[in-house]
Amino acid sequence: MRSIFKSSWQATLRVVMCCVLLLAASTAAAQETDESSTIAIVVHKNSQVDNLSLTELRNVFLADRQFWPDNTRIILLVRAPKSDERDFVLNRIYQMTEAQFRQYWIAKMFRAEVPRGPKIVFSTDMALDLVVAIPGSISFIRADEVTDGVKVLRVDGKLPDDTGYVLK
Amino acid sequence: MGFGDISYVSRDGSNADGFSIGQLVAHLGASLGDSVSVFGEFSATAKDSEYSFEVERLIVRYDFSDTYRLSAGRYHTPLGYWNSAYHHGAWLQSTATRPEVVKFGSKLVPIHFVGVLLEGTLPTPELGLGYKVGFGNGRHGNIARAGDAGDINSDKAWIVELSAKPHKIFGLATGLAFYTDEVPLPNGLEVEEASVSAYVAYSKESPEFIVEILHSAHELVTDSSVSGDVDAWYAQLAYRLPGEWHQWKPYARYEHTRVDDSDPLLGAEGLDYDGSVLGMRWDFNHYAALKAEYRNEEFNNGGRENNFRLQLSFALAKL
Repeated sequence: MRSIFKSSWQATLRVVMCCVLLLAASTAAAQETDESSTIAIVVHKNSQVDNLSLTELRNVFLADRQFWPDNTRIILLVRAPKSDERDFVLNRIYQMTEAQFRQYWIAKMFRAEVPRGPKIVFSTDMALDLVVAIPGSISFIRADEVTDGVKVLRVDGKLPDDTGYVLK
Repeated sequence: MGFGDISYVSRDGSNADGFSIGQLVAHLGASLGDSVSVFGEFSATAKDSEYSFEVERLIVRYDFSDTYRLSAGRYHTPLGYWNSAYHHGAWLQSTATRPEVVKFGSKLVPIHFVGVLLEGTLPTPELGLGYKVGFGNGRHGNIARAGDAGDINSDKAWIVELSAKPHKIFGLATGLAFYTDEVPLPNGLEVEEASVSAYVAYSKESPEFIVEILHSAHELVTDSSVSGDVDAWYAQLAYRLPGEWHQWKPYARYEHTRVDDSDPLLGAEGLDYDGSVLGMRWDFNHYAALKAEYRNEEFNNGGRENNFRLQLSFALAKL
């Protein structure tokens, strides 16, 4: 009787431990999912800018603002179509469909409001390499892919890890 | 980058229905360093027996900052919305045709402006305030043209435009512009021209609307009793359909122009106009659209006419 009680207690303990491990694993996975669906705004390491409001960020991405405060020209790097990062930014920052985004930039160039359109990058590595190399550049990548070579901007005062960060 | 369009047009009582090549437009742009850029726009327009080639815009610009950009060259006069926002890009505009007041070769609005322009955005990100101040040649002897090779009198044209793109209503643009010039007439007299234009445009497509009004006053410099006004306006509404119909955009426009017979510059031109447009745009490709458009219009109170236009327009671009 005592051995049956002991073995059932041990079985229960194992089940509880398994549940705890599963819960921990699923929480970690959930955190990883959150991290991977968070977009970080990255600029050149020497940029004097630390924070942009969402309005200012939108103005930069729309090229309604084309210069940083130190008068360096802003170079916008945008992911090529059919990437999750581009879809996210079109949805959350531009508030446009893919077709509207193309038409917006063609119209912008047509009106000679910008000397050139955004530079298209085809991977996160390419975006990071160009942000490292070009002073004045700005791009967006997944928060879990940020490297030490770039500076992550606060948006509305918050970094990607902070609660309430707007680009999650 | 460039634009082009090909149309099929059918008109009431016309024996000349058929296909027409619209404008083929090419853009050239280059950055000459961080602050200096050059932009050129060239068009080839099909005429009865030839093509006419035109330097539509040529702009050399120095960007000091977002607030100050100084340029020189030939521009689309920033008087109103359509003339700057669409002009030669038929693919950019929802409709197949332009409002009569800003049609190619319009005499109502000085379509082009040759001179210098200071422009910029003010540090008001929430309001998106912008300005343009221009000083240039004004109209040529042919009043539908700008003085490309020099002014024909010593009185220069001025233009001032203020605009706003408020962040809270993303996609909304409003503007107010004032233009003044002195225009020589063939008889040697001069007419003082003063125009005010205002617009409200919302470009988010569901819905999309543009309302633009123009008021011009013309007065003989030597005799202020000889004067007349021009009032023109149009309102256009379009709506990008949702879901699986997102490639389709129905649209409608109403426009009206009235010119005083006593107007010393335009009174004898017969420019009164009243028209309505109803159409459907189909964006079957990211860079090409097919538009079917019915237009009912009346020129100078001469009876109403109907026409139908099918237009294929495209942009030569890659993003």
